[in-house]
Amino acid sequence: MLKIQDIKGKYIANVLRSYGVLIALIIIIIITSIIETNFFTIGNFINIIRQVSIIGIVACGMTFVIISGAFDLSVGSIVSLSGVVAISTINNGGGEALAIIYALLIGVSVGFVNGILISLINGKMGEAFIITYGTQTVVAALALFASGGLFVAGRIKPGIYKSIGKGIVPIVIFIVIAIGMQFILTKTKFGRQMCFIGGNIEAAKMSGIRVVANRTAYFMISGLLAGFAGIVLTSRVISSNPAGGMGFELDAIAAVVVGGTSLLGGNGSIVKTVLGAIILGVMRNALNVLNITAYPQMMVTGVIIILSVSLDILNRKAKEKELANEKL
Amino acid sequence: MNEYVLEMKGITKTFPGVIALDNVSFGVKKGEVHALVGENGAGKSTLMKILNGVIKANSGEMYLDGTKTNISGVNDAQDKGLSIIFQEFNLINTLSVAENIFLGGLNRPKIVDWRNMRIKAQGLLKSLGFSFDVRRVVGELSTAEKQLVEIAKALSFNSKIIVMDEPTSSLTKSEEKMLFKIIKELKAKGVTIIYISHKLEEIFEICDTVTVLRDGKVIDVNPVSAITKDMIIEKMVGRTVDVEYPKRTILPGEKVMEVKNLYRTKILKNISFDLRKGEILGIAGLVGSGRTELAEAIFGAERFDKGNIKINGKVIKLRSTRDGKANSIGMVTEDRKETGLVLDFSVTNNITITNLNNVTSQRILNSRKEKDVAKRFIEELKIKTPSHKQEVVNLSGGNQQKVVLAKWLFSNADILILDEPTRGIDVGAKYEIYCLMNKLVAEGKSIIMISSELPEVLGMSDRILVMHEGEIKGELLGESASGEDVMQMIIN
Ligand SMILES: Nc1ncnc2c1ncn2[C@@H]1O[C@H](COP(=O)(O)OP(=O)(O)OP(=O)(O)O)[C@@H](O)[C@H]1O
Ligand SMILES: [Mg+2]
Repeated sequence: MLKIQDIKGKYIANVLRSYGVLIALIIIIIITSIIETNFFTIGNFINIIRQVSIIGIVACGMTFVIISGAFDLSVGSIVSLSGVVAISTINNGGGEALAIIYALLIGVSVGFVNGILISLINGKMGEAFIITYGTQTVVAALALFASGGLFVAGRIKPGIYKSIGKGIVPIVIFIVIAIGMQFILTKTKFGRQMCFIGGNIEAAKMSGIRVVANRTAYFMISGLLAGFAGIVLTSRVISSNPAGGMGFELDAIAAVVVGGTSLLGGNGSIVKTVLGAIILGVMRNALNVLNITAYPQMMVTGVIIILSVSLDILNRKAKEKELANEKL
Repeated sequence: MNEYVLEMKGITKTFPGVIALDNVSFGVKKGEVHALVGENGAGKSTLMKILNGVIKANSGEMYLDGTKTNISGVNDAQDKGLSIIFQEFNLINTLSVAENIFLGGLNRPKIVDWRNMRIKAQGLLKSLGFSFDVRRVVGELSTAEKQLVEIAKALSFNSKIIVMDEPTSSLTKSEEKMLFKIIKELKAKGVTIIYISHKLEEIFEICDTVTVLRDGKVIDVNPVSAITKDMIIEKMVGRTVDVEYPKRTILPGEKVMEVKNLYRTKILKNISFDLRKGEILGIAGLVGSGRTELAEAIFGAERFDKGNIKINGKVIKLRSTRDGKANSIGMVTEDRKETGLVLDFSVTNNITITNLNNVTSQRILNSRKEKDVAKRFIEELKIKTPSHKQEVVNLSGGNQQKVVLAKWLFSNADILILDEPTRGIDVGAKYEIYCLMNKLVAEGKSIIMISSELPEVLGMSDRILVMHEGEIKGELLGESASGEDVMQMIIN
């Protein structure tokens, strides 16, 4: 017998599942605004989104990979290496265009290696984890090698490269990329096939989808965006750091998961990821404004990630129960 | 014997947009084998899910041995002597038989006494009249053996009532015999069995009573001795239906596909045949004879080592299923859950995936076109669903099968491979699918049909290839061949 309470409980659970992130964001904003008056200002928000945009770009690529049922841990080191190579290209007189091309090429190539390895062995989450962890390590080492392990100040003249990281340009780039990718995800054959592959890879294969090629493409897109994030990052700080992108992969995954895209694959949204990235940014900023130092900040971030993953797992359990019922 | 061991009274269950069960009363006597039949989506599985505490009814009462009972969940059901054997087994492939029997449930022991467990498992199997090494890993077992393990598991809970939901849908004839023997033995032990099946002949072989459900209502309860197959069908469907195989008038035309010396180590041995335009080519053989592997090779899902395939006279490259599709080949796979569908996607998204180009405008997916396509197939195949947006996981087994068919019909392939196309589909819908196949070949398409149901192959095919151990043993004409002919060829 259905009880009103059950219905209410379900309704609340549903609302929380669908809009939990947004609600959390609003709560953080309200509390911090009450405590600190200079938090709720347009200037501060632009600042936050600018800080978020680099991780956000990486997270958009990560979303594709996660929807297709995998993981990409290599993006952080791609950011580092592409930044190092771009800056040294410019410093050595190679020109901005070449610097950008090299950075993007690095991203695409690493993505290609990830993708082809994982898709050829028909790898799932676990294999993707191991393989991209491997490439992460290799690429990180390459970044150290290429830079001799040093910070390098960029001798960048005013121009395209310099303007990429300036003012609201990163924000605009981030938004354009996000809109484009959301469009690809929901409105194109490529996006639909991606969801299908993440939903049931065997069924995708037997539906005539080129699974290997498509999966490789998702990793290439993820790598490409990471390479691009390396450009934005170095352009902003006008220097390169061989460990500049360290930990970005986790922040990106956090943004995806906090946004509410399931690690189960098959479903997800770039819009959610953007929200997830912003929420993490707002939270960090709020902690800053509240004068909470870096280490507790890390702890809070960690707890939030664990909470979102747990929520995802709870959802997954509920889903599995449904699927189990279906077995009858 | 006249006592009801189980009574369900006034059970009603609704899902959004669906009344799955409408005031159903269902009674089962002790020690009988009670058949539960009905069309796809009639509510059979739902009723059994309620009985086993998997889902809760909106209203209704349940009595076990005459006392009112509430089942709070699957474990509670097990405690009360109820268990259910799923059509797709609930076993862990990497564990041994003994472990599966005793560790599967949530009420596993805290400390495992391996020796004792093995002895007990062996004992359970022996009580069913079988003995095989309980240390074997379940993944290596045949379907029938897995079923045996499921039954032993049910017995390990001391189940008094065991539900079997379409247990024979993936069994071979001989395995089926084995299952029936077990059922008879269980019955002799006083275990009550509720038996769901779309293969109505089976009911006359092993069941005592039959309850017919239609649209969530009980239409009829009868002792099997007082009813005929035709009567059951009429009650299921609500009208008389044809159960003959529909006739075709057109004759096969020119060759569209030629398969030459297809060879794959240990799996396919020099397979050669051709397929004509407008032809239905049946492939008969036992489970494991290489039929599915052959189909997958033709579709590009599995490689082959030697040989070639020509389409319209030209040798084609088949490196992937994409190549198969590009050559206008489609394949309805035998396992809808593993390879046919994405269960948590909508009916629409599952159907349109094979031909997304057809539902785009300017290369952008057009949801209105998608909706129209889905609605067309829902109507054409009578897929029972409250909406085209319903996730297929919520459809009944037979209706899911129809979605897989729809998906490949939409691909508009000229050559359709159907691997067990009517698995889990009710009698009425089967006839409709046969008519659909005839319509397709009349339009000039060609069909390769694999089926373990021999009458279906015999009744529908122009020609029949008989496969055994990866080899084509011979060819028969559909018109004149009999089941004996096929078996004879397999044995020779
Ligand atoms: N979880 C669910 N959500 C929504 N609708 C459901 C759900 N489970 C079952 N239904 C609907 O309830 C009806 C009865 O389904 P059920 O699975 O009991 O049919 P069935 O008699 O077992 O059919 P089949 O012979 O095809 O297996 C169907 O219309 C189905 O779509
Ligand atoms: Mg069913």
